Amino acid sequence: MPRYGMVIDLKRCYGCYACVMACKVKNYSPPGVFWARILKGERGSFPNTVRQALPVLCMHCENPSCQEVCPTGATQTLDNGIVIVEKDKCMGCGACIMACPYGARYSVEEWESYFPEGLELSPYEEFAKKAWEEKRGIGVATKCDFCRDRLDTDSEPACVEACPANARTFGDMDDPESEVSILIRRHRGSVLNPELGNEPKVYYLEPR
Amino acid sequence: MDPKVEGQIQTEWRWLIAIYLFLGGVGGGAYTIAAINSFLGEALEPSTIVGLWISFPALIIGSLCLLADLGQPTKAVLAGMKPGTSWIARGFWIISIFMVVAMIHTWLALFGNAGESLLRIVAVVGVIFAVSTMGYTGILLGASKGITFWRSGAVPIVFVISAIVTGHFAIMMGLVLLNTPEALEALRPMAAEAAALVVLEVLAIVFFLQMASRHPDPRESVERLLSNKTFVIGYVLGGLVTPLVLMLLLYREMVGTDAGTILAMSGLGAALGLMGGLILRWGVLRFGALPTLNVAGFEFRRVARPKEPKPEIGLLPPQ
Amino acid sequence: MTAPNQQQIEDDVWIPTSCGQCYCMCGIKAHRQNGVITEIKGNPDAPTGRGSICPKGLAAPHLLYDPYRVNYPLKRTNPEKGLNVDPKFVRISWEEALDTIDKKLRECQERDPRGLFFQATTTQASEIRFGVIAFMKAFGTPNYWVSGGGLHCGNGAHFMNGIMHVAWSIIPDFAHCNYALNFGCSKGHGAGHVAVQNATQVADARYRGFKNIVFDPFQSAQASKAHEWVPIRVGTDGAVALGIVNSLINEHGIYDAEYLMYKSNAPYLIRPDDGHYMRDAETDKPLVWDLVDQCPRVHNDPLVTRVEYEDTAHEVALTGTFTVNGMECRPSFELLKEHVKKYTPEYVEKISWVPAQSISRIAKEFGEAAEIGSTVTIETSKGPKKIPKRPAATHFFRGSQGHTNSGWTCLSIDMINHIVGSGDTWGGGMGLGAAVGQGYEPTGKPYQIPYPCPDGLLVAKTWVYDHKPYPLRDPKPPTRLDLHDMFPTSIYNAFTITDPRWFEMLDRFDIPYRPDVMVNFGSNSVMTMGNSETVTENFLKKFNFVFSFQLYITEFEEAVADIVLPDACFLERYTPAVSFPSTFSHPQGEDDWGWTIRQPVVEPMLERRDFNVVMLDIAERLGIPGRFYKALNDTIPIRYGGEMDPKYKLKEDGSERYSWEDVTDRLLKDRFGEEHGLEHVRKTGVFTWPKKKEDVYWKWFNPSRIPIYFEYFIDAGEKMTEMWDSYGGNDFFEFDWTRFKALADWYPCPTHTEEDPEYDMHTFYWRTVVHCNSMTQQNPYLDECAQEDPNIYGVQMHKRTAEEKGISDGDWVWMENPEGHRVKGWVSLSEGIEPHHLAISAINGHWGKYMPIAKGKGAFFNDLVEMDLDHTDPLTFNQDICCRVKVYKMDREEV
Ligand SMILES: Nc1nc2c(c(=O)[nH]1)N[C@H]1C(S)=C(S)[C@@H](COP(=O)(O)OP(=O)(O)OC[C@H]3O[C@@H](n4cnc5c(=O)[nH]c(N)nc54)[C@H](O)[C@@H]3O)O[C@H]1N2
Ligand SMILES: Nc1nc2c(c(=O)[nH]1)N[C@H]1C(S)=C(S)[C@@H](COP(=O)(O)OP(=O)(O)OC[C@H]3O[C@@H](n4cnc5c(=O)[nH]c(N)nc54)[C@H](O)[C@@H]3O)O[C@H]1N2
Ligand code: SF4
Ligand code: SF4
Ligand code: SF4
Ligand code: SF4
Ligand code: SF4
Ligand SMILES: [Mo]
Repeated sequence: MPRYGMVIDLKRCYGCYACVMACKVKNYSPPGVFWARILKGERGSFPNTVRQALPVLCMHCENPSCQEVCPTGATQTLDNGIVIVEKDKCMGCGACIMACPYGARYSVEEWESYFPEGLELSPYEEFAKKAWEEKRGIGVATKCDFCRDRLDTDSEPACVEACPANARTFGDMDDPESEVSILIRRHRGSVLNPELGNEPKVYYLEPR
Repeated sequence: MDPKVEGQIQTEWRWLIAIYLFLGGVGGGAYTIAAINSFLGEALEPSTIVGLWISFPALIIGSLCLLADLGQPTKAVLAGMKPGTSWIARGFWIISIFMVVAMIHTWLALFGNAGESLLRIVAVVGVIFAVSTMGYTGILLGASKGITFWRSGAVPIVFVISAIVTGHFAIMMGLVLLNTPEALEALRPMAAEAAALVVLEVLAIVFFLQMASRHPDPRESVERLLSNKTFVIGYVLGGLVTPLVLMLLLYREMVGTDAGTILAMSGLGAALGLMGGLILRWGVLRFGALPTLNVAGFEFRRVARPKEPKPEIGLLPPQ
Repeated sequence: MTAPNQQQIEDDVWIPTSCGQCYCMCGIKAHRQNGVITEIKGNPDAPTGRGSICPKGLAAPHLLYDPYRVNYPLKRTNPEKGLNVDPKFVRISWEEALDTIDKKLRECQERDPRGLFFQATTTQASEIRFGVIAFMKAFGTPNYWVSGGGLHCGNGAHFMNGIMHVAWSIIPDFAHCNYALNFGCSKGHGAGHVAVQNATQVADARYRGFKNIVFDPFQSAQASKAHEWVPIRVGTDGAVALGIVNSLINEHGIYDAEYLMYKSNAPYLIRPDDGHYMRDAETDKPLVWDLVDQCPRVHNDPLVTRVEYEDTAHEVALTGTFTVNGMECRPSFELLKEHVKKYTPEYVEKISWVPAQSISRIAKEFGEAAEIGSTVTIETSKGPKKIPKRPAATHFFRGSQGHTNSGWTCLSIDMINHIVGSGDTWGGGMGLGAAVGQGYEPTGKPYQIPYPCPDGLLVAKTWVYDHKPYPLRDPKPPTRLDLHDMFPTSIYNAFTITDPRWFEMLDRFDIPYRPDVMVNFGSNSVMTMGNSETVTENFLKKFNFVFSFQLYITEFEEAVADIVLPDACFLERYTPAVSFPSTFSHPQGEDDWGWTIRQPVVEPMLERRDFNVVMLDIAERLGIPGRFYKALNDTIPIRYGGEMDPKYKLKEDGSERYSWEDVTDRLLKDRFGEEHGLEHVRKTGVFTWPKKKEDVYWKWFNPSRIPIYFEYFIDAGEKMTEMWDSYGGNDFFEFDWTRFKALADWYPCPTHTEEDPEYDMHTFYWRTVVHCNSMTQQNPYLDECAQEDPNIYGVQMHKRTAEEKGISDGDWVWMENPEGHRVKGWVSLSEGIEPHHLAISAINGHWGKYMPIAKGKGAFFNDLVEMDLDHTDPLTFNQDICCRVKVYKMDREEV
């Protein structure tokens, strides 16, 4: 059984938002939901300023604080390391949203259209609404699931596939010869805020 | 649109959860005071009776608020599945058992003719769960790893103290409403206790905010909390300072001792204190800031500009 | 909202096609489920993307299904036109719309067909070559422009890169380049050209240790990923580039003598009297000085010519004075060497605010990185060949180009490449979308191998528009409404047609007709060109009748359209050639060639109809379909390299009607053989064939040279002056004809000469990856994404500057130019911008009532852009897009 993880190479990433959009388009998330997200940072003062984008998503923590607080058992870690929310068990208490230090979780109270109120849904939005309600649900916690429905067909997560800079690599953390393992080893990959103790399976490579 | 930058704060838990935590605290606090009273053999003191009367409905209403806040209330039955790790699940059981105990206690105290010893046993069990409930309201926040502001160990302390304070004020309020001579009798000594408790709360809150200010993310929460009008006026001034002053005045007999004055001052102080307790919880919830993420010397503070308002429908091309 | 005629299809397919959210036109695949497009992703089969994609492409389902799309023909019922006028559109039938158009066009044809003016969007570039170009030719009008396109876009770059690289733009050979200078473009960093492939290439390059030095007034995406960010004052890149040329040649003594001797006109001997070439009396060919035999020789004498690197030849003189025909001639290189001496690092610092030491240091680093003298061996179709390895390159586009010094700035920046010999060789400064290729082997098409003119200079075999950038045609008495015929160094201009004296001018220049009917395909010129009021009042309102193919009712339609026709979007139509002619839609580098097409993923919804289909329809009604087909047949060899096989030519007598499916099929079969028609190509959306290495690194396989000395500009200028004067043109505009000369210089923009200290800020615009020009702001996915970013809708301002002006983060401000035009926006404070600059993104700030998502988001820069000659490059007519402004807080009520 693989143990899935991701490496995001900040030296490659130029903050283009393709991953954000790929995730939206693949998962039909309504407004305000960004399972994949870009944060923008700046350091230094003029002219020694540097800007950097930080792509974030669910870190699929080894020690997932979201799962710890979940009263119903809806949040679980699969054998392949992917942390998921089982829609039918989730009561939407939001504890996991508060417990996730990476801000990876979102719940929507109502599938809202992207267009102004009062309009009929477009065929695309109708599809999107149905897909979201069926697969993700309303009033429940949702988050990145490493596109696990795509993994059976052997393809990569949508955000990985879309990234023009090939900044995202997905694979088996347990296999020392997998691309992710090699990248982490070779470039001394690290995780975000290790002091939190969540042990993310999403690793970052330094921007410079 | 107001494009001012704000650090990102949680948006998930708002008033309903604040009310839930507040009423959980009131219920726990009122019960604890009542139970201790009954423990001390003053089972039929008006304050005991009022305390018991308050706790159960407070817990029920609080739980209903939680239920209303759930995205999927029908699945609430699953809430107790994982008490091994989840404080919500533990809370589910704690509050459920506490409600049952409180109900039994109330029943026994008012209508039952149970013996002193049974009442005591019930009270001991009840107090254990009442304290747990009060503690739980704080620990629940403390378990939220995503919000550093809540994680300083001080939140449970503040919430437990505040729970007792609000429970106490709730009882005073009940006494005011009861408006019997016995009730009137009880109010002044209670004012003394209230003043002491509020002082304790002030100390706790100062300690809490100070602790929180040590690190940048919770400091942001503190700063925003202290620059929030509702919090400063509603809690600091309205919910702490004013009740404290009122209670002191009442206790030191610096104002008239006629029934009207006592009732009015107690009522006002208690109402403000209760309001303060609610605003305290709301404020602590509202300004829970997400942690800054650090990589390679960059700080990614999840700054968000408030979104543009949802667009107006505008004009559709003629169809 | 499904088309009534579209039966419910039960299917689940991925259709390969080409994106149309920007002009990069990447290969994509669209997922169709039960007749609805539900997802889009990159097409791994297409070299234009290789499976990668950007957020705009991904967000396209919302373009297709946007409830604000125009779905029926509309008619203006309010005769009044202008900004903020309610057009009172009503729905009409296609029949009525086409009848009216037919009538107006017939009237126009009768008055003078040249009264028809075509305006098109740059963004749907591949469609323009069919419905626009062919119809114009069939109808008989020369009047057209690509709205904001040419003026802002590439008037400077396309012209100059066409001369130097037979390419639309330039780019480092990212795969091998080690050191690049980026002058104001985002190539490889989100926007710009061939966006996603370049992003892949540049990310790989960063791992190889590739160093990018980015000159930009703010920390753009490219600057943030750069080895070094050099804040620069807008509009001064030309000075910096010439400073680097000076520093290379005169300070560090670094230049590639071999390249200059055999691949440029650097050795051409220049007459001392008039600056022209010294020519051979007999052949009239320019002469060079043979250093071995110590005698003059014509430039292409085999003794002094090296086509391939391994050829041998005599060395020729790059410096010195030589007496030829009794005159003391000097090689043009020496003139250049002398000429650039005035661009000392200190002088350049004063202009550009780039520290003098930086200029000198960067020149040295660049020169060293070029590894002059080194070679590599590449595997060509004729075996292994040695070519120069020059892993250093410069590139540029919108930023440095959008100024009144545009033409010379473009040349100066590119000159750096040619000084170190890195032009179109391994690791060097390459033509992006260079028209160089031997074609698909079995058919030899598209054949586009450039060749030398009699003077030895590079001539493109194929080009995107009819007249090639070189050789320059002679100025002709004007026939076009913008007098373009007189100005061979430009494609079109704005300062004539937006001038209040336009009609007087037409009288004076003997133009016997007036603007009559305008056809607009896509463009929103009210927003994309410059000050919206100037454009609307002085230009657009001068047309008697305007009909517009659009997806939305934009500010343009609101202001002036009489009829709006609901176009199909790129997901609903056929386009026969998307990545060709290879401009911005074809990657540089060794990956395969790919001819992409567009095919409908869904049928046009409701009453939408494809622009190209309708133009054919109109041609038919007018009785000119034969001419339309002929025009198509005629333009194909120019743009797509190689005559059409008669078998596939369209019948020119109008006896047969072709669909765009047919045209696509014929074009594909003609290019790639009978078996590779539409049926074959539609499976993958692209036809690919291997690129030969000698087509990638073509410099040392081609007998042509590039100019570093623009001898022919001298004549061109003289001819133009003469003609201009003969009409008394100076009564209207006083041109700075001195810009028509042989050697590069930097010229200040009005921004640099503004003296009033109140106007202390420089503004400019930049592209965000999230939006394309003025067209994606209505897409709610992209709009939401833009709101996630602090800088897309905000006006970037330096923290310190803001403090001095009492402005805080998020405050609303006015930015007002010296002409009194002002725009508003809210500021986003940062340390990532030069303190005297304000940066505004995209073409935001829509106000149209029919685009509610776009409305009010971001600042509308272009109202600050003045459309007069003062703000136009006299050489290429590129528009100046840097503005001096004063900035002040808005009153609360105004917000
Ligand atoms: N402030 C500012 N001004 C600029 C620029 C800038 O970056 N900032 N960029 C400049 C440059 S380089 C350029 S090229 C120009 C571009 O200026 P334009 O050529 O006017 O291009 P867009 O803004 O892309 O406008 C495209 C229009 O075409 C419509 N459209 C899109 N697809 C289709 C289609 O399939 N059919 C039809 N009929 N219509 C379609 C869209 O709705 C939109 O209104 O703007 C220039 N002006
Ligand atoms: N995402 C996206 N992609 C696009 C487009 C789009 O709108 N969005 N538009 C397409 C079109 S029409 C075009 S023409 C291309 C253009 O593509 P590019 O030419 O790459 O244009 P920009 O991305 O605007 O990059 C220009 C850069 O120059 C900087 N700059 C501005 N003024 C100056 C100056 O005076 N000197 C220097 N050194 N820098 C300066 C700006 O800050 C900006 O970072 O992109 C195409 N691709
Ligand atoms: S798609 Fe890739 S380059 Fe773009 S923001 Fe995401 S990770 Fe960065
Ligand atoms: S990132 Fe957050 S949601 Fe994801 S596994 Fe970790 S704690 Fe859970
Ligand atoms: S919201 Fe759902 S997944 Fe999250 S903690 Fe509550 S029940 Fe578990
Ligand atoms: S892995 Fe899939 S679900 Fe997760 S962020 Fe990427 S696209 Fe979204
Ligand atoms: S770069 Fe342009 S063509 Fe390519 S996917 Fe993005 S919007 Fe489409
Ligand atoms: Mo452009």
